[in-house]
This record gives sequence, structure tokens and C-alpha cells, in this order.
Amino acid sequence: MIMFTSLFYLGIFLSLLGFVLPLLRLENNRKAHRTFSYSLSILSSVSFLAFSALVFLKKGEYLIPVYSNAGLIDFTFYVDQLSAFFIAVISVVSLSSAVYSFGYGEHLSHERRKDYMASLLNLFALSMVLVVASYNTLEFIFFWELLSMSSFLFVLFEYGKPGTRKAGLYYFIMTQLSTMFLLLGFFGIYANTGSFNIQPVTSLQNLTLIFLSLFIGFSIKAGVVPFHKWLPYAHPAAPSNISAMMSGVMLKVAIYGLMRFTLTVLPQERWWGVLILVAGTVSAILGVIYALKEHDIKRLLAYHSIENIGIILIGFGLYLIYSANDLNELAILALAAALFHTLNHALFKSLLFLTAGSVVSATGKHNIEEYGGLIKTMPYTAALFLIGAVSISGLPPFNGFVSELMLFQAFLGSYLIQDPLLKSLVVLCLSGFALTSALAAACFVKAFGITFLAVPRSESARDAKEVGKCMIAGAVIPAVLCIVLGVFSLQIFSLMGYRTDLPDMLVIGIIMSLFYAITYLVLKNTAANKVRAGETWGCGTPLSSRTEYTASGFSQPIVRFFKDIYQTREVNERRFYDKQNTLFKEGAGEIHLMKFFEEKLYDPVARSINYLSIKVSALENWSLDTYVLYAFLAVLATVAYVGWIA
Amino acid sequence: MIDAIPIPGIIQAILVLIMITGALIVTRKDLLSLLSMYRLQSLLLMFLALVLYAESGNYVLLQMAVLTLASKVLLIPYIIRRMQKEINISKDISFHYISPAYSLFITVALIFFSYYSLSKTLNELTDNKLFYLGAVFGISLALMGMMVTFSRKKIVTKTIGYLMMENGALIFSIFITELPFLIEVLIIIDLVILVLLAAILAVGMDSSIEEFQAKLERIKHPARNGGTH
Repeated sequence: MIMFTSLFYLGIFLSLLGFVLPLLRLENNRKAHRTFSYSLSILSSVSFLAFSALVFLKKGEYLIPVYSNAGLIDFTFYVDQLSAFFIAVISVVSLSSAVYSFGYGEHLSHERRKDYMASLLNLFALSMVLVVASYNTLEFIFFWELLSMSSFLFVLFEYGKPGTRKAGLYYFIMTQLSTMFLLLGFFGIYANTGSFNIQPVTSLQNLTLIFLSLFIGFSIKAGVVPFHKWLPYAHPAAPSNISAMMSGVMLKVAIYGLMRFTLTVLPQERWWGVLILVAGTVSAILGVIYALKEHDIKRLLAYHSIENIGIILIGFGLYLIYSANDLNELAILALAAALFHTLNHALFKSLLFLTAGSVVSATGKHNIEEYGGLIKTMPYTAALFLIGAVSISGLPPFNGFVSELMLFQAFLGSYLIQDPLLKSLVVLCLSGFALTSALAAACFVKAFGITFLAVPRSESARDAKEVGKCMIAGAVIPAVLCIVLGVFSLQIFSLMGYRTDLPDMLVIGIIMSLFYAITYLVLKNTAANKVRAGETWGCGTPLSSRTEYTASGFSQPIVRFFKDIYQTREVNERRFYDKQNTLFKEGAGEIHLMKFFEEKLYDPVARSINYLSIKVSALENWSLDTYVLYAFLAVLATVAYVGWIA
Repeated sequence: MIDAIPIPGIIQAILVLIMITGALIVTRKDLLSLLSMYRLQSLLLMFLALVLYAESGNYVLLQMAVLTLASKVLLIPYIIRRMQKEINISKDISFHYISPAYSLFITVALIFFSYYSLSKTLNELTDNKLFYLGAVFGISLALMGMMVTFSRKKIVTKTIGYLMMENGALIFSIFITELPFLIEVLIIIDLVILVLLAAILAVGMDSSIEEFQAKLERIKHPARNGGTH
């Protein structure tokens, strides 16, 4: 017990030291201080990881007092298996991001910015761990806000770039909305129990209101549709090592919150599972569909985060539905799938963001149309990106496949549900989920193919060079874990004492490797080996990178197919020399995609608030008499209110 | 709080007279009669304190009566009167939002509104009907004072409105709250009024509030307004 807690204390201490050190701005050798700060971040991650692994394997619950002041401020932490799992997820991603930052952080433009990067990285990681370990709701909100603040600073990190301020504003508003809803929920619980502690509550008044507040609050932070809009703005704006952490684990902190309050605090109701399942399915489908039309590599990954958060929610929703129908084995399977996918998504998404960050750092471009052929100049990055792409696409024997398979297994047990309507809904969601998996694979064929294959489509892609060792090493950690968690999934689950019907991925992996090896050998020995040099026929025009398959070209059929969702508007303009329209002069074709949620939901709300603000501003006319009149009316209203409530 | 009132008739009569002076302040345009009404109101307030002192024997009430006489019946009206003479204005004829006729209707409405709104709350605080009436009149007078403050343009009238608000608060305090606290509040409010008056006197009393603000601006930003220093 003592060793457990000392590891936790050590992690906090190291993170705080790593946070403070670069801010001191000691003049002699600031780079050494930053390096030391990143090292502290790594050590604290290792410390937290060891702590959470021990708690998880011991299956214990631990109360860890840190600071308490006459009951007003109480920093006591609570760690059980659920929080230990999330602390482990946070620590692994923080670890790889810190390793990556050794190289990436030094690429930033100003010395001061480099210092802030090293410092805030520690604070960001620590605040996530402490949110997950919070024992009471006040602590939870405190660290939640610390997390929001540090991530907000990261979103605005490169504030000079176009679009960054918009991203910052979006993020700030949405994250504050999220806190507001959470506070509403927490005070709702407090009003019933008189305690801020996060502990089971048997009966509650206004339970529906409390649950919906918490659900919306956590959904905003997790990026669930339709509260997702901040995510595709904020993730590309933040530095790549931070995008990896934001997408990889910050969203999971919200998932943790939802799970914690739904599983262990509130008494569950039957319809919650349905709501979460539907929200998850909609997020998964729309996330991947929006990702398909995206050409900014980091924004594409951000949309995939929405999709994967949807998948996690699908698993969690299924758990609640099965629990409510007393199908306990299926429920546990669905929850295990959701949690495993949480871990898997944290790994492959951080891997993808880190490698995407390497590509952006090497080329200076975000648009995948301007890449091409990078596999030749950046082979390690390409290989690592491929591992991430294959994992997220759910291909065997990688980890993404295993969690999605578990989820399919959970779905297929839905025939045991008695209620025919609910059964139909689950089957409908199953078809949505299957569609999601297929589209994700298509999207990553595009992302990998257009980025790394063929020939470079821009000067910067042609001149790109492989990134440094630290940046590669940072991405290797999640890549290795993606493979290990996939190939040894059965063994890992057995070790933890959880019995599954999963196939042995090790065997499948060996069979697949053998199959690939044999195919390669057969082809090598039987196919024509003579190299024939010749020019590709290009309809008489010289072939260049302009004639390659582009990202727009690749996704065009899918965009056309889902045009009702994208609300595409095609504009074709043609001008002719003659009145009979026979001699073509010039023309232009454009496809406009409507930003549905932005134009139909966010903008109208923003406009209404703006309108209201203008009206309220009009009340202010710089006249003393008017202000006394307002005070007079306020007094009248107060007197009326006092009379009404008496 | 006073425990028993055997002569409620006198107190009721004084309260009603105070409300009449309040109504006259709300409607009158002539500055001289406004000031007289205020002086009369304060005098009635003093009598109220004296009657209550005679009944309860609470020494603080006597202090309050003396203080009221000295400050509100004599000193403040004297200062305002002197200023009025110097600046030579006699009427405040411009109004904001509410004309005098409507003001009177609103005054009546305010009394009924306070009476009904506070019936439950005040009944919990006191069983005595007279105390209840005093509290309602106090609140109504304060609201009427506020109405004068925002509906009149001349600073003199606004000041009288403010002083009337304070009288209303005083009546409410006599009947509902504890006395030692009341004395403190009274002194503080009177000091505030004195500061306010001093500020007005420094800039000029003949002005309306817009001119007052413009003058303040000129003092704050002399260069922007063509000042020489």
C-alpha cells in the first residue's frame, strides 16, 4: 500500500517539477532545462504507469490523501480499477508524446515557446491523471478546468497562424459550456446527497436532469456529434505532440467521467443505454463520413477521433442495454470492448498524430494533396503511419481489429433481447457500425496512399527529410503496443482473468505472415523477373504529379454517394465563343460542401446570442436616470418575488 | 423593535401625513415647495420618533429624533435653500419617463403593491398591524424617492428624491429592524448625502445631470476639451 501511494506522489512531484523548471527561465543553458523537463515527464509517466498497473492487477481501491484544509479544500484521490485503467492509458500516451517532444519541441520557433511547451506538457498530463483520480466533484472540476486551460493554451500555441484564433475561440466556448453542464449535474447530486464525494447514490430527485447534464457536459468534451465542432478546429491548430495527447487521451478523460458517473454513482435507468448507443452510432458514422472528404491530414484524424469516440460509446451503450435486460455476460463483453477500444484508440490515434506531425514538420504543409512519395524520403515515418492506419482500419492481427471484433460479438448477441423495438434498434446500429468500419478502411487507404505513395506533388514534399530519432522513437512506443495488444490479445485477457471467445491472434498472425511470405516467394520465383523499361502511355501528354490520383479524386465517388449528408452543391460554368454553344471558350467546375452543423446549428445559436447581446447592450445608454430606473424595476421585481415565494 | 403601542391613532395619522408629503414631492414642480415638503416630511418623522420614544422609553429614539431635526429639518434644507437662492432657479419642469400625473397613480399602485407583496413575509416578522403598516409605508416611500430620482432632471430634485428614499428606509427600520444598527446606517447615509451635495456644489447646482457629466469630463480631460492645463 505504501509503495503504491508513493509512486502516485512521486508522479505528481515529478510532473510539478517538470512544469516549474522551464518557467524559471534560468539563463544558463535553457535547452538542458527543457530536456530535463521532458525527462521528468517521462519519469512521472512511468511512475503513474507502474502505480496504475499495480492497482489494476491487485484489483484494489485506494484512497490517497494529498492535501486537506479544514474541509474546504480536500485533495484526496481515489483510485480503483477503472481509474487505474485510464491512468495507464494517459501515462502511455504521455510517455510517447514526451519522447517525441525531445525532437519536436526544439523545432518550435522561439526559445520562450519551447520553454512553455516543455512546461505545459507536464501540467497537461498531470491534470488529466488527477481528473481521473479525483475523489470529489469539486476536485474533479478543479482539475477539469486546469486541463481545459492548459489545452486551451496549446490550441493557441501558434496564435499567429490563420485559423488558430477561431479554433481557440471555438474550443474555449465549448469547453466552458461543458464545465457549465457538469457543474449543473454535480450540484444536482449535491442537492440530493449533501456531499461532493464521488460515491454511489441510491435515490435521486431530478435524476433525468442530472444525467442529461452530465451526458451533455462529457459529450462536448469527448466530441460527440453534434457537440463535436471544436474538435476539427482545435486538433489541427495544436502542436502535433499535443494533438496526439488531446485526441488520444483528453477525449478519454470525458469518457471516463461518463463511465464513472453512470456506472458507479447514479442509479441507472433503461433509456440511458439507448441514448448513448444512438449518440455513439451517429458520431461514428458522421465522423468517418466527414473524415472521408477531409484533406487536411490532422483534421482528417480529428474526424476519426469523433468516429472512434462513437465506437467507444456504442460499446458502453450496449453494456447499459444488456445490463438493463439482465444479459450480464454480453454486457461485460460490450464494456470490455469499449474499454479495450479506448486503450487501442489512444494508442493508434496518438501514433497517427505523431507521425502526421512528423510529416507536417518535414513538409510544412497540412494538405495531403501536396504530399506524395514520402515513403521514399521518410521510410520510418511511413512504416509507423501504416501500422497506425492498419490498426485504426480494424485489420487483423492489430489491436483495432480485436476491439471491433469484440464489439461485433457483443452486437450479435442482441437476438437475446426480448423487446422487439429495442432489438431492431440494436440491429440498425450494428449496420451503422459495420458501415463505419468499412469507410474507415477506405479513408486510410486514401490517407496513406496519397501521402506516402506515388511521386511528390509539391516542392516541399520532394525536399522532405526523415525526422530525428526522438520523433521516431516517440511513435515507435504506441506502434509496438498496437501490434502487441493485437497479436497477444487473447493471452493478455487470460492474464487478467477475463475469459473471451476471441480467436488466438498469435496463430492468425503467424498464419498471415506465412501466407504473405509464401506469396512473396512464389511471386518472386515464378513471375517474370525481367525489368522492362518503358514509358507509361499518357494519352499523348507528359505524365507528371498532376496526373496522379488525388485525394479529391479518390474520395469523389464517396462524396457523391453521401451528397445528401454533405449537402454538396455543384457549380459548373461554361462559356462559349458562339451563341449556339458549340465552340468552348472556358469553364469552371466547383463542388461546395456545406458545413452542416456549423451552418445549421452553431451559427444560428451564435447569431441568436449576438442578437440578444445587441438588445441587451441597447439597454445601456449612459444615462444615470435610466440606470436608476433599472434599479427601481429590480427592486419591484425583488419585492414581487419575495411576495410570491412567501 | 418596539413592543407595544397604545396610541396607534397618532402614529397612523403621522404615517399618512408622511405619505401625503411623499406624494406631493413626487408631483410638485416648484423647487421651493419641494424643499418645504421634504422639510415637513422630516419633521413628521421626528414626531414619529418622539411619539415612539414617549411610548417605549427607548433612548435611541430620542437621539434619532434630535439627529433628524438637526440634519434633515434644519441643516440640509438650509444648505439647499441657500444654493437655490444663489443659482436662482425655482422650477424643475422637465421629466424623464414619467409625468407628474402618472407619478401619482404609480405612487398609489406602489403602496398597494408593497402591501400585498409583503403581507405574508411581514406578518411572519410582526403580529402588530401598525408595524406592518409602517414597514409597507417605509418601503413605498423609498420606492417613491427612487422614482423621483430617475424621473426628474434637476440635480436638486434628484437629491430630494434620494433624501426621501433614506426617509423611507428610516421608517422601515424603526418598525422592523433593530435600533443600534439603524443609527449607524443613518449616519453613513447622511454622510454620503453630504459628500454628494459637496460634489454638486463644487461643480454647480444649476445644471442637469448631462451638463454635470460634461463638466466632469472637462475636468478629467482638459486637453481634449480645449483646456489650457
